[in-house]
Amino acid sequence: MTTTVTHRETASPTSPGPVRRSLLSVPSRSDSVFKLVSFTAGMTTVGIMLAVGLFLSLRASDALRVSGFSFLVQQQWSPETHVFGIAAVLFGTVTIAIIAMCVAVPLALGTSLLISEVTRGPVRSILVSLVDLMAAVPSVVYGLWGLFFLQANVIPISSWISTYFAWIPIFAVTGGSGEHLTEASAYTSSAFIAGIVVGLMVVPTQTSVMREAFSQAPVGEREGALALGSTRWGMIRTVVIPFGRGGIIGGTMLGLGRALGETIAVYMIISPIFTINWQVLKTGTNSVSALIALRYGEASDFGLSALMAAGLVLFVITLIVNFTASSIVARSRSGAETG
Amino acid sequence: MTTVLDPPTLSDTDVATDNDTSLIGSSITHLPSPGETPVGPRRSLRKATLDDKFNIVGALVASVALTSLLFGWFTPLIGGVGYVVVAFVLFVGFYIILVALRADRQEVKDRVMTALMVSAGVILFGALIFVVGYTLIRGKDALPHLNFFTQTMELAGPLDPLSIGGILHAIVGSLIQITIALSITIPLGITTAVFLNEIGGRFARFVRTIADAMTALPSIVAGLFVYAAIIQLITHQRSGFAAAMAITVMMLPIVIRAADVVLRLVPGNLREASYALGSTRWSTVWNVVLPTARSGLVTAVILGTARGIGETSPVLLTSGITSVMNFNPFSGPMISLPLQVFDFVKSPEPNMIARGFGTAAVLLLLVVALFTVARIIGGRGPGQLSDSQRRRLAAASLEDLARMSRTTPNRDATDVDHAANPEETSR
Amino acid sequence: MTPRIRLIRLISILFAMTIFVGAAATAVPQSATAVTYTPISGTGSTWSQNALDQWRRNVATNYGMTVNYSGTGSSAGRKDFINGTVDFAVSEIPFQAAPEDGSAPEKPANGYAYMPIVAGGTAFMYNLKIGGKRVTNLRLGGETITKIFTNRITNWNDPQIQADNPGLAMPNKPIVPVVRSDGSGSTAQFTLWMSKQYSALWSAFSGRSGLTSQYPVKGSAKAQSGSLGVAGYVSQAYGEGAITYVEYSYALKSGFPVAKVLNAAGYYVEPTASSVAVALLQAAINPSDLTQILDGVYNNADKRTYPLSSYSYMIVPTNIPATGSIFTQAKGATLSTFASYMLCEGQQQAAALGYSPLPLNLVKAGFTQIARIPGSTATSGDLSKCNNPTFDPANPGSNKLATIAPQPAPCDQRGPNQCTSGTAGAASTPTGVTGSGSGGKAAGSSATGAVAGSTGAAGAGTGTDAGQAGGAQLASSTGSGEAAVSSPFSEPAAPFGAGQLLMLVSGVLVVLAIVLPPVLSKSLRARGSGKNS
Repeated sequence: MTTTVTHRETASPTSPGPVRRSLLSVPSRSDSVFKLVSFTAGMTTVGIMLAVGLFLSLRASDALRVSGFSFLVQQQWSPETHVFGIAAVLFGTVTIAIIAMCVAVPLALGTSLLISEVTRGPVRSILVSLVDLMAAVPSVVYGLWGLFFLQANVIPISSWISTYFAWIPIFAVTGGSGEHLTEASAYTSSAFIAGIVVGLMVVPTQTSVMREAFSQAPVGEREGALALGSTRWGMIRTVVIPFGRGGIIGGTMLGLGRALGETIAVYMIISPIFTINWQVLKTGTNSVSALIALRYGEASDFGLSALMAAGLVLFVITLIVNFTASSIVARSRSGAETG
Repeated sequence: MTTVLDPPTLSDTDVATDNDTSLIGSSITHLPSPGETPVGPRRSLRKATLDDKFNIVGALVASVALTSLLFGWFTPLIGGVGYVVVAFVLFVGFYIILVALRADRQEVKDRVMTALMVSAGVILFGALIFVVGYTLIRGKDALPHLNFFTQTMELAGPLDPLSIGGILHAIVGSLIQITIALSITIPLGITTAVFLNEIGGRFARFVRTIADAMTALPSIVAGLFVYAAIIQLITHQRSGFAAAMAITVMMLPIVIRAADVVLRLVPGNLREASYALGSTRWSTVWNVVLPTARSGLVTAVILGTARGIGETSPVLLTSGITSVMNFNPFSGPMISLPLQVFDFVKSPEPNMIARGFGTAAVLLLLVVALFTVARIIGGRGPGQLSDSQRRRLAAASLEDLARMSRTTPNRDATDVDHAANPEETSR
Repeated sequence: MTPRIRLIRLISILFAMTIFVGAAATAVPQSATAVTYTPISGTGSTWSQNALDQWRRNVATNYGMTVNYSGTGSSAGRKDFINGTVDFAVSEIPFQAAPEDGSAPEKPANGYAYMPIVAGGTAFMYNLKIGGKRVTNLRLGGETITKIFTNRITNWNDPQIQADNPGLAMPNKPIVPVVRSDGSGSTAQFTLWMSKQYSALWSAFSGRSGLTSQYPVKGSAKAQSGSLGVAGYVSQAYGEGAITYVEYSYALKSGFPVAKVLNAAGYYVEPTASSVAVALLQAAINPSDLTQILDGVYNNADKRTYPLSSYSYMIVPTNIPATGSIFTQAKGATLSTFASYMLCEGQQQAAALGYSPLPLNLVKAGFTQIARIPGSTATSGDLSKCNNPTFDPANPGSNKLATIAPQPAPCDQRGPNQCTSGTAGAASTPTGVTGSGSGGKAAGSSATGAVAGSTGAAGAGTGTDAGQAGGAQLASSTGSGEAAVSSPFSEPAAPFGAGQLLMLVSGVLVVLAIVLPPVLSKSLRARGSGKNS
C-alpha cells in the first residue's frame, strides 16, 4: 500500500522486432467508453453542485439587492420591514455546531477505536450495525427526546456549570442588568442543549468514517509497534491515529456538515432569538436551517428570497470549512498515501 | 516484591500473531521455531486477570459510594444525569490510582484509555438504546395494531381510535423515494468515485474537491434548492419525485466521498498485477478494483441511505403531505416516513402522537431490514467467500484445470487476462 | 458476481417489494358510492388542520370523496391559491393587498370568496404553583394578558394580576411567556386581538400596527415551535411560571388549566366551545371584501362571551379560470358538497376536536359563499337540513345556542369572589383560596359565591403571603415548605461565595482522605524496596 499507482496505458504486445515501437497505445473501445462515462459522471456531479449554488444565488438576489452588505452584520430578521441580516442566526448555527462537535468528536473517536481495536468477532459486527442504525433514527425523534427527556435532566448541569464557572464569560447566565439568573427557565432551549442533541445525532456518521479509516491501518506497522514493546494504547497512538488522521478529519467534517444543517431537532429545541447570545447555557439561540423551516410556511415572496439568501450563506460557509478540511486531509499521512 | 506482572507487550504481540488472523490478512508474522526449550503450560492471553477485574469493580464501587456521599452536598447537581457525570469522573480517578498501584505509566495509560474508549461506547450505545427504547415505548400503543401496517390514513381522522388507519402510504412513499434516489445515486456516485481514482488528472482533483466540500451540504439547503429549481420552476407542485431529487442531492456527495475513500484503499499492487497481465483499464476496474472494495462500497451506500431515509428536512419543503396512497412520484404529494412522524406529533390528539412514535419505530425497523439485506448481499470483504461461492469457485478452477490441460501450452497473450480471472469463467 | 450486479439486484428487489406492497394496498376496496366525486386538494392553515383532517376522513367514509389537505401554513396556502396549484386554501389572514415588505400584492387573478369554516378561542395555558399546589383557577383581564405578552408585567405577584385574582396569593415568581417560533394562525389571531383592543401597548412592543403570524421574541419570552412545543414547554417541571397561548384542545389533552379571560360584561370566562360560539354571534363580515370584523366579538356584551374568539376562512374560487389553474366545474361540485358538510355536520365534532362550532350568522354567511362556487350543488334552502349543533335545523330562525349555552357562575364575576374549580385539562382539580378574596364553585350556575366563600378567607389582608392562607387544601403546607416545593429547579442564589468555598474545600479534603493513603503507601513502599535492594 506504500506504492502509488502509476497510470500507464497498457501496451499491447506486438511481435518483437528490431523496429523501436511507440509506447503510446490506442485505448480499446471499452476503455474509451469507460473513460467517457466516468468523465460524464464527474461532470454531472460538478454540475449538480454548481446548480445548487447558482439557483440559491438567483433566488436570493432579490433580498441581497435590498439588504446589501448589511445582510452579514445585521442581527434582526424582519424581511417585512427590510431590516434583516444573518449575523445572529449564523452565530447561533456555529455555536450549536461547535458544541455538537465537542460532544461528538470524543465520543466518535472513542467508539470507533473501541470497535476497530478492542472488540472483535460478533460483538464488533453487532456494534457496527448498531452505529449504522443510530444514523437512521429520524431527527424528529431526537428532537422530541431532547425536548421532553434530555432538557429537564441537563438543566441542573447547565445551572451548576454557570454557578461555578461564571467567571468564564460564555458560561455565565445573566439577566438584563447583569445579575446571575437561577430560575430553571433561564437554562431551557439553550445552544448547549441543542448542541448535545445534535452531537448525539452526528456521532454515528463520524464513527462510521473513522472506524473505516482505522481498520485500514497497515498490519505490519501495528505488529511492529507491538513487537517493539508498545502497549495497545501506545500502538494506537503511534500507528492507528496518525494513519487515520485523514479519516478523523473527514469524519469530523462530515459530522460538522450535518450539525450545521440539522433542522428538525434544532427547530424543536431552540427558542429562536435574533440577537447574538454569547452565553451558551442561556435560553435563546438560532440556526439557519431552523430559521428556514420555521419561516418558509408564512413567508412572502420577498421573505422566501431572504430565506434563500440565508441558505446560500450557510452553503458558502460549509464549502469554506470543507475546503479547509480537505486541504488538511491531503497533507496528512493517510490522505497522502491513500490518494 | 516477588510478583511478576504479565508484561502486556508480550501478551499483545502474541494476540496479534496467534489469533487475530483477520487483522493480519496477507502478511503473517512467522514465529521462530521454539527449538529444544520445553514448552510450559499454555497461558490464557485474553482473560482479564483477577487484578484487572478488581481494579474495575473497586473503582466502580468507590466512585458510586463517594458520589452518593457527596451528591447534593457540595456538588450541587440534581437529577440522574448529574449523578452519572460525577460518578464517572470519580471512577476514572479511582481507576487511575488503582492501576497505578501495580503498574508502570505506560500500562496505566493503556488501561485508562481503554476504559475511556469503553465508556465512550457505553455512552453512545446507552443513548441509542434510550432513544430507540423511548420511541418504542411511546409507540407501543400503535404498533400492535395490524391495520397500522396495512392501511392508510385516508379513512382515519384525529378522533379515530388506533384500530383504524395506518401508515402504509408513508412506507410506500419512503420506499419509492429512496429507490429513485438510490437508482440515481449509486451509479452516479460510484462512477464518479471510480473516475476520481482510476482516471485522475486535474479535472478529477477538481471534482474531488467539489464533492468533498459538498459532503457538508446542509440537508435543508438541498431541499431549498429542489424547491427553487424544480418545484417553483418546473413542476409547480410538491411531489415524490421532487423529494427524491432532494434526497439525491443530499446523498450523492456522501456516497462519492465514502466510495472514494474505499477505492483509494484498494492496494496498488492488485491494480498493477492486473495491468501487468494485460487487462484493460475497464476490465481492471470491473474485475479487480470494484470487487476488492465491495464491502466498503456497501458501507458507503448504507451511510448515504441511512441519512437519506431518516432525514426530514429535505422532504419538508419538497414532498407535500397527504394521507392517501400515491404510487405516482410525478404527481401529487407523496409523504414519507420521517415527514409523517413530524406531521403526526404536531397533533394535539394522544392517538396521533402514539401513531407518530409508532411510525418512527417502523422507520427504524425498515432501516434495520434494509441494512441487513445490504450486508447479506454485499457486506463481505474481498477475501471472504460464502460456502456456495467457495464451492462454485473450486468447481470453476477444476474446470479451468481440465481445459488448460486439454489445450496447447502455447497460447496468445490475450488469454492471460482470461485465465487470471477465474470468476469470469464462472459467470 | 460483481458488486454492481448485486446492487442492481438489490434495487430490483426494492422495486418488487414496492410494487407488491402497492398491489396489496390497491386491493383494499374503496367504499362504493352512487355519486362520483372528483378529488380536490388544498393547503393552508396549520391551526385548522386538525378539524380538516377529521372532516376529510369523514367525507371519505361517507361520500367516498377524496380531499387532500396539507397544513403548510396560511401564507403558503394563499400563495398556492394565487398560483392556481390548489382548489382551495385555508387561512386566518385575508389576502394582503399591500404587504408590509413591499413584495408583490397578493392579488388572485380570478374570483374568490372567504368562507368561515371553523372557530376557536385563543386559550392561555399556564403552569403555576402556590405552596406546591397547582393553581387551576387563574383569571386574567385583557390588558393584563397584553402586558404579560408585551413584557410590561414580568412577575406573577404584579398588583394587576393580584387584582384579577383576589382568591389567590400570587407568588413572587417571574413570568415566562412562551410564544410560537414558527409562523402560525394562533399567533395571527392573538396579535390581531391585541392590535385591535390594546393597540398602544402592542405597537409600542412590536413596532407594527396590525397582526403578525411571527411573534417577536423579546425579554424573558421563550419561543417554541408548534402547539406541541409551547404546550410541552409549559407542562414540563421547568415550565413553572410559564404561560402560553395555544389551542384549547392542547390544554385539555395535557391536563393543564387555562386562564379565564375577562369579557366586556365583567365576567371571567373559560374558552369552551359554547363561550366561543356565543362570542361569534357578533361576528360581522365586511361587505366590501368579505373579510372578518371581530370588534363586536371582542366586546360582546353577553356575559358568556370568551373575548379572544375568531374563526378561519376557507378561500374558495368563484369562477373557473381559463388557464393556469387546476380548478374545474366538477371540482366545484365536490368542493361545494364538502363545504356544506363542514358548515353543518362537521361542526358537530368541532368541540371534540378542541374548536368551537360556527354559530348561525356565520353558517348563513358561509352558505352565501358556497352558492358562488361554480358547479355548486348547495342552495340556501340547505339551512333547514343543516345539522349544526348551534341551531335547530327545523327552525333556523331560532337561535338555539343563545338559549342552551351555560351562564357563568356568579363567582366568576369581577369582584372579591373567585371560583375555586379548575379549568380545561385540570377541571377536576380545585384550587384552594390563598388570597384575600373568597372562593366559590362554578359547578352550576346556581352555586353562589357566598356559600362557597365559607371554605376560607382567613388570609384576608395579607394577600401576598401564602403561608398564612387558610384554604382547606393548604392546611398542612407551611411558608417554608412552599419555597422548597414551588421551585424545585432553583439554584442557590449566591453564585460563588464563602459557603461554596468552604464546601469545596471540605469536599477536596474528603477526596484527599480517600486518595492519599494508597498513593503514599506506594511511594513509601517504592522507597523501601529501593533501600532493600
